[in-house]
Amino acid sequence: MEFTRWIESTAFSDWIKTSPSLLAFPFFLVLHAWGMGLLAGANAALDLRILGLAPRVPISAMSRFYPVVWLAFVINAISGMLLLIGYPTKALTNPVFYLKLACIAAGMILMSWLRKNVVVPNNLSKSNGKVIAVISLLVWAVAIISGRLLAYTCHYLLADLPC
Amino acid sequence: MLDETFREFVKWLSTTTLADFMHGQWEWPIAESLHFIGLSMLMGTIGLFDLRLMGLAKQIPFSALHRLIPWGIAGYTVNLLTGICFLTAEGNQYVYNPSFHLKILSMSIAGINVMVFYTTMFKKVRVLGPGEDAPLPARIIGGVSLVCWLGVILFGRLLTFFRPPAFHWCWWC
Repeated sequence: MEFTRWIESTAFSDWIKTSPSLLAFPFFLVLHAWGMGLLAGANAALDLRILGLAPRVPISAMSRFYPVVWLAFVINAISGMLLLIGYPTKALTNPVFYLKLACIAAGMILMSWLRKNVVVPNNLSKSNGKVIAVISLLVWAVAIISGRLLAYTCHYLLADLPC
Repeated sequence: MLDETFREFVKWLSTTTLADFMHGQWEWPIAESLHFIGLSMLMGTIGLFDLRLMGLAKQIPFSALHRLIPWGIAGYTVNLLTGICFLTAEGNQYVYNPSFHLKILSMSIAGINVMVFYTTMFKKVRVLGPGEDAPLPARIIGGVSLVCWLGVILFGRLLTFFRPPAFHWCWWC
C-alpha cells in the first residue's frame, strides 16, 4: 500500500481525481465504455460467427475487424491506466480487480488463438474451436461484470479512506 | 399542470414494487452489469454492420453480416428493460438530468436513422456481394448510426456527473 499511497500523492493522480473538467476523469470513463463495447462486442460477434450463427459470413473476412478490436484494446489499456493512477489503492486491494484483469488477459489470448487457428486459415472444423468460442464469450461477460462490480466491492477508496 | 402531473408520476414510480426491488443490495449492480453486456452486444453487431456500410471488411456480404443484427436487438432489449428498472427506481436522477436528455435524443436519432435505412436503403444493400460498396446515402446512415450509439454511451456514462440538483449546466431545463 506504500506504493499506491505514493501514486495517490503525485500531482498527476491528484489531477485525475480532482479536475472539474469533463475531459478528465469523466471522459476516461467514457473512453473505457466505448472501448469495452467494441472490444467485448466484436469478440462476441466473432465467437457467435464461429459457433455457427451468421453462417454465410466468410470467416476469414471477419479478420478485417481485428484492427478495430486492437484499437479498442489500446483505448481501454490507456484509459484503464489513467483510472488506475487516479485510484490505485481502490483497484489493487480488491480481488475482483485481479479477476477482471485475468479475464481480459484470457480473452485476448483466446482471441489470438481463434485468429491463428480458425479465422485466418478459414478452418471452422478446427478441434476445440467452438469450445474456445464459448469460453471466450464467458470470459468477456465476466470481465464486464467484474469491472462493473469494482464500484461495489472496494475496501479502500484511497489508502487512508475506506470505501 | 402537466408538469405537476409528471412530477407526481415520477414520484409514484419510486414507490412501486419494482423500485423497491431495485434498492436491494445487489439488484442495481446486477442490472448495471446486464446493461453493459447489452451495450457490448449492440456495439459488436450493429457497430460492425455500420463499419461495413462505411466501407470496412468489404469482403463480407451485407445479407450475411445482417444475420448478427438480432443479437444487437437482443442487447438493445436487455438495455431497454434494465433502463426502465433504473428509471423507475430513481426517476428523479434521470428525468431532470441533461445528460439523460441527450442520451434519449441520441437514441431517438438512431431510431429515426434505422427506420430511414430499412425503408430506403436495405433492399439495395442486401443484394450487394463481397467487395461491393454501399451507396453513399447508406454509408452516411452507417456513420450516423455509429456516432449516435457512441453518443448514447457517452451521455449514459456522463449521467452520474450531472445528477440533480448539483448539475453543471442545462439551458433547457
